[in-house]
Amino acid sequence: MTDRPDGSDQAADHDVPIPYRERISTYYQTLGYGAPYRWAHFAGVPFAPLKKPLSQSRVGLITTAAPFQPDKGDQGPGAPYNGSAKFYRVYSGDTAIDHDLRISHIGYDRVHTAATDSKTWFPLPLLREVAKAGRIGALAPRFHGAPTNRSQRVTLEQDCPELLARLREDQVDVAVLVAV
Amino acid sequence: MCHQTVSLAARYLEENGIPTVIMGCAKDIVEHVGVPRFLFSDFPLGNPTGKPHDPESQALTLELALRVLELAPGPRTTVQNPLIWSADPDWKLDYSNVAMLSAEEIARRRGEFDRNKELAKAVREKSAAE
Repeated sequence: MTDRPDGSDQAADHDVPIPYRERISTYYQTLGYGAPYRWAHFAGVPFAPLKKPLSQSRVGLITTAAPFQPDKGDQGPGAPYNGSAKFYRVYSGDTAIDHDLRISHIGYDRVHTAATDSKTWFPLPLLREVAKAGRIGALAPRFHGAPTNRSQRVTLEQDCPELLARLREDQVDVAVLVAV
Repeated sequence: MCHQTVSLAARYLEENGIPTVIMGCAKDIVEHVGVPRFLFSDFPLGNPTGKPHDPESQALTLELALRVLELAPGPRTTVQNPLIWSADPDWKLDYSNVAMLSAEEIARRRGEFDRNKELAKAVREKSAAE
């Protein structure tokens, strides 16, 4: 018995955003890892309005991708999760040149993503284009790498202040943060 | 952890006066943390800035993120990218879904996870000692 009209073009019931917290929690419980992870969760959310139009703003880029390290094992397309390729300190790179950033240290969807096109996680070349076209005022001289730490305390007390300091040094007006 | 990391960073930057937009694929994690502006792409993790080898989708996705940055009326603004990963939504059933795994596969992954945890621990200790 369905309440939907015949020939409905509505979506399948499971065609919803994946409930990652629930999936991951059940997954690790099943693999035998103690108490479920408590994700960060806030009732209040800050909001800083733009101070000027984007066409006059300097844009900073933050990524969780990691620079390729040839001595750290397979980081290529299809590589299994590679914990040794992780980084634990904020790093920065020159936005004027190209960079080889990888995601083998991240739990991305290895079944449905081949990771053969870095532009699906690192939009630096495209940001250079939109800056050239005048869509944004300018791209900041550096992008910054944010370590993906399980410890919220380390992220908040060590990495966030470091990111803020570097963005201020770069005199950015707004920031684009890409979560792989 | 990636989505949590950038969500915490976005909050921190906004508290310090820098407007942000997050591009990501894990809607529940980002919204659970609570962030100012979020462009959600309903794609497999690993594709927050568009589809692979599809420059048009990448350009559209970045443009949407920039519009969210410009136009969000207030905090917790999530906009969903209208692009669809695949006409068949079954890819959504696979990620970390124990209901889809055999007992042997679960045992294999348990061993693999243990090894990776040891590797990451070694890097962390080395980094802390520097």
